[in-house]
Amino acid sequence: MSGTPSTINVLYFAQVAEHTGLRREAWPLESPIPGTEWLSILEARYPQLAPTKRLKLAVNQYHVSHDSLIHPGDEVAVFEPVTGG
Amino acid sequence: MVLVQQADFDAAALSAALRARAGGQAGALVTFTGYVRDYAPEQPTHTLFLEHYPGMCEREIEEICATAQKRWQVFEPVVVHRHGELRHTDQIVYVGVASAHRGDAFRACEFIIDALKTRAPFWKRETLSSGEQFWVQQRDADTEKTRLWDQPEKGKETL
Repeated sequence: MSGTPSTINVLYFAQVAEHTGLRREAWPLESPIPGTEWLSILEARYPQLAPTKRLKLAVNQYHVSHDSLIHPGDEVAVFEPVTGG
Repeated sequence: MVLVQQADFDAAALSAALRARAGGQAGALVTFTGYVRDYAPEQPTHTLFLEHYPGMCEREIEEICATAQKRWQVFEPVVVHRHGELRHTDQIVYVGVASAHRGDAFRACEFIIDALKTRAPFWKRETLSSGEQFWVQQRDADTEKTRLWDQPEKGKETL
C-alpha cells in the first residue's frame, strides 16, 4: 500500500474524493515535509478543497496532527472529520 | 472482537456469545445499538451510505477497546460496525461490554461509542426521501463528549 521511496500514496475519502475526483494517487515526494506545508500544496492543486485547515490527516493509517512530518513511502489519507457510529 | 462489515448482524446472538465467553463471571452486560434514523423530523431519511477506510477502521476500534479494557474491569468488548448502503431503520453499529459490575460496563460501553464517533474513519452520506443528498458533518457535541473522557475523574468513579 505504501508508495515507492520517492512518492507517497495519497488516499482521498468521502467529500474529499468527490472534490478531487480521485480515490488515490501517487504523489512525488523526495524528502520529508510537514503536513501543513503538504496541505497547502494540495490546496493549490485542488482549490476546491480550501480551506484544507479543517481536513484531517492519517499517515500509515494513524491519525496525525498537521505539524507531523510526511515521509517518502508513506500512505497519507485526507478526509473530513469522521461521522461513524 | 471487532468486525467491520456490510452484512447485517444479530444483536441478541452477539450478546449471548459475549455472555457465554464471560463464563458466568459477567454480572452485567451493557449494549449499545445504533440505527439509521430520520435526519430530522421534517427531513425523513431514505438511505444512509457509510464510506470507510478499511484497515484503519478496524485498528482504531481495536485500540479503543484495548483502552477501555485497561481503564475498566471488562471482558473483551464486541464491536460490529456496518458500511455500504443502509436503509432507514437498519442497524448500523453494535457495542457490547460485559463486566462483573454494572458501573464498569456502562462506562466502558459509552466510552467506546463516543470514541468511535470521533476516531473511527467512517463517513455518512444521507439521501433524504426528497432525493436530496449530502455528507453528514461531525457534531461539536460528539467532539466535546470524547474530550470529556480524557478528564481522569469521570473514568475513576465506580459504582
